[in-house]
Amino acid sequence: MADRALKLIMDCGQAMLKSGGEAFRAQDTMEIMARSLGLEDFHVYVLTNGIFASAKGGTVNAVRYVPTFSTNLGRVEAINSISRKIADGDLDLDGAEQELKKAMHTPVFSEMIEHLASMVGCACFAFLFGGGPAEMLAAALAGVLESVIVTTFSHHRINRMFTDLLAATACTLLAHAAHLFYAPLNVNVSIIGALMVLTPGVALTMAIRDIINGDYLSGTIRLFDALLVAGCLAGGVSLGYLLMQGIMGVIA
Amino acid sequence: MTAAEMPLPLSLLCQFILAMLATISFAVAFQVPRRHHMACGLVGAVGWIVYTLCNTLLGLSAPVSTLIAVLPLTALARFFSITHRAPVTLFLLSGIFPLVPGAGIYYTAYYFIRNDQRLCTNKGIETIKVAIAIALGIAFVCSIPLPRRLSRQQYRGPNSSDSSPQ
Repeated sequence: MADRALKLIMDCGQAMLKSGGEAFRAQDTMEIMARSLGLEDFHVYVLTNGIFASAKGGTVNAVRYVPTFSTNLGRVEAINSISRKIADGDLDLDGAEQELKKAMHTPVFSEMIEHLASMVGCACFAFLFGGGPAEMLAAALAGVLESVIVTTFSHHRINRMFTDLLAATACTLLAHAAHLFYAPLNVNVSIIGALMVLTPGVALTMAIRDIINGDYLSGTIRLFDALLVAGCLAGGVSLGYLLMQGIMGVIA
Repeated sequence: MTAAEMPLPLSLLCQFILAMLATISFAVAFQVPRRHHMACGLVGAVGWIVYTLCNTLLGLSAPVSTLIAVLPLTALARFFSITHRAPVTLFLLSGIFPLVPGAGIYYTAYYFIRNDQRLCTNKGIETIKVAIAIALGIAFVCSIPLPRRLSRQQYRGPNSSDSSPQ
């Protein structure tokens, strides 16, 4: 019984971390669930990429490693509501296991929709940063290209830093190529619009949230992640410019 | 036609709508359930409009405008987290994106390649300042405690559920 409860709690915590919940949120959720399920003496320590827990005076233990994460906020919400229902007494152990299984299998938006979202997002940002229809179109194309690169690379489990670097290079090159066809195009604005989708906004926000809540170690991990991604984007743009310089002999 | 060429009210309206669309795109990419999309869009659009007003009309610097814009943005995200009974992360993560210094990152790299040391350092430091402004703004608004009645409705830590198991 204690084993099953602990497994459910660990599954929920792991799913939450993996879907982009903050460390303190996963920790709170797990503690609430343990208290409500009557798991005695439950202690848990959550990091950005790992969970360590023990219960019943240390006789039941579990460790989970959460190496990668892909943001799925719908899942975070679903697990949050499971813990809430358990705390309210609306769900028992069996019901919670069912609900968790259902939450893990809820349909996600398909890749086509993600490409489309990236396209619309990039076009909108190109406008917000001072672009007209031409810049919006260039940014939209770059957005689709980036989205395709990111999803294909993640299928092949290619390093995320390399993916970001290459996506930034690709959008720089595409904007320059568009500039060759249509000279009045503002290259800077098109690239910035396309780049916004790749910026480490999630990592930065989560780092702040973790640090405010006193999880300095988890916050530092995320902050470092944000810095690295920003560095990769800058490197990717630079690389794109260098390539362009090599091919054309000039900087646009 | 760009935003700068439009008459001001039209420009602001267009920016509001497009900022909303951009934020909703992020919400879709983050798999936020459909019933929260409008709220996410509003959070992002309000943040962006406050930023534009401060930056272009009042002539404040980017970090200061960002700091001012993050305050209503985070407050609105917390408000929606209560009314929609969902984690504040949903609204905050999608809504913050228009303010993330993507342009700063780009210009830092751009001037770096152009061998312009002064502008490169300027832009680099400004980017870091904007990031710190976002951090301060979120930290400030998230640290304001809510009245007990409200905080019990918010999806958060043990405080909210201490009383609920009975």
